[in-house]
Amino acid sequence: MKSLIVIPAFNEAENLKTLLPELLSQVSHDVVVVDDASQDETVQVVESFGVKCLSLPLQLGAWGATQTGIRYAHKNAYQQVITMDADGQHLPVEVHTLVAGYQQTNTHVVIGTFPSRLSRLKKLAWRFFKMLTNIKIEDLTSGFRLYDEQAIKVLAQRQASLLDYQDVGVLLLLLRSGLTIHEVPVKMLHRNDGKSRVFSSWLVVLKYMVQTTTLCIANMGTRQAK
Amino acid sequence: MTNITILIIGALLSVSILYLVRKGKMHGPYATWWLLVAVTAIILSIFPGIIDWVAAQVGITYPPTLLLLVSICMILVRMLTMDMALTQKERKIRRLTQKMAILEDHLTQHKKDDGQP
Repeated sequence: MKSLIVIPAFNEAENLKTLLPELLSQVSHDVVVVDDASQDETVQVVESFGVKCLSLPLQLGAWGATQTGIRYAHKNAYQQVITMDADGQHLPVEVHTLVAGYQQTNTHVVIGTFPSRLSRLKKLAWRFFKMLTNIKIEDLTSGFRLYDEQAIKVLAQRQASLLDYQDVGVLLLLLRSGLTIHEVPVKMLHRNDGKSRVFSSWLVVLKYMVQTTTLCIANMGTRQAK
Repeated sequence: MTNITILIIGALLSVSILYLVRKGKMHGPYATWWLLVAVTAIILSIFPGIIDWVAAQVGITYPPTLLLLVSICMILVRMLTMDMALTQKERKIRRLTQKMAILEDHLTQHKKDDGQP
């Protein structure tokens, strides 16, 4: 099976220096880093490890970068995409857990969840979104996911390009397309460096909450609960 | 007096739009919309009776209200379509950016392959 690991990265040179060698020693998958118009030496670091790096000329945000990798996989006929964060909170060892979860359950998407990483505030927000959308998934924003061929096809299309975050919107699109999602518990580290893109400041949180709520309400009734 | 003012505004608007099209600063659909606005202003300034007549037909006792209401509605519709167009543009820009990154990689890959036959 041809499978690709996609790592979106924005100014992650330092973290990639530790992540990439570990990842390359752990797995035999192809790896591609999508550089989201970084200002530091992310590209050079990635290339120094002999890893493929796609450079976006404009900053598109985490999901835009991830989708670039998914489109690349789609174009090159990969059957599986695994996405992980560049900041080191997703452990390379756990890639095997995702793959095992996929082989056992035969669902289209496998999400690696680490419930104890959620703060009380996040848990409250997630409960709110789950109530709105009927999604039965513990961790809505985990970027540690495995997508199969059908999910790649869905996420590579135009409809997915207007999403801003790899979370509820992506999940809704997948479920609406009739795909199934499974969660496996994985171990995650706390962020080495840098902050969460979503939960960084109150204003950003507010914007995120409002946008996601709108998205949830607009998508009400488009599919039956799983 | 008001009629003449509106006539002048309408005329100036049409001339400006035609000028902008000529200079390549506005294209097709936008120019059509603005010219329609200008023409409407000119027609209404010449035949102000139209507003009174329409207001009477729909049962509005103070005709200027009708004019304001319709204008505000048109502005809202226009703003909505503008945001829709912007959304389309945003999507296209994102897709293009992604494609560019993928193609750039493809290109360098080819160059490398050509370098070492």
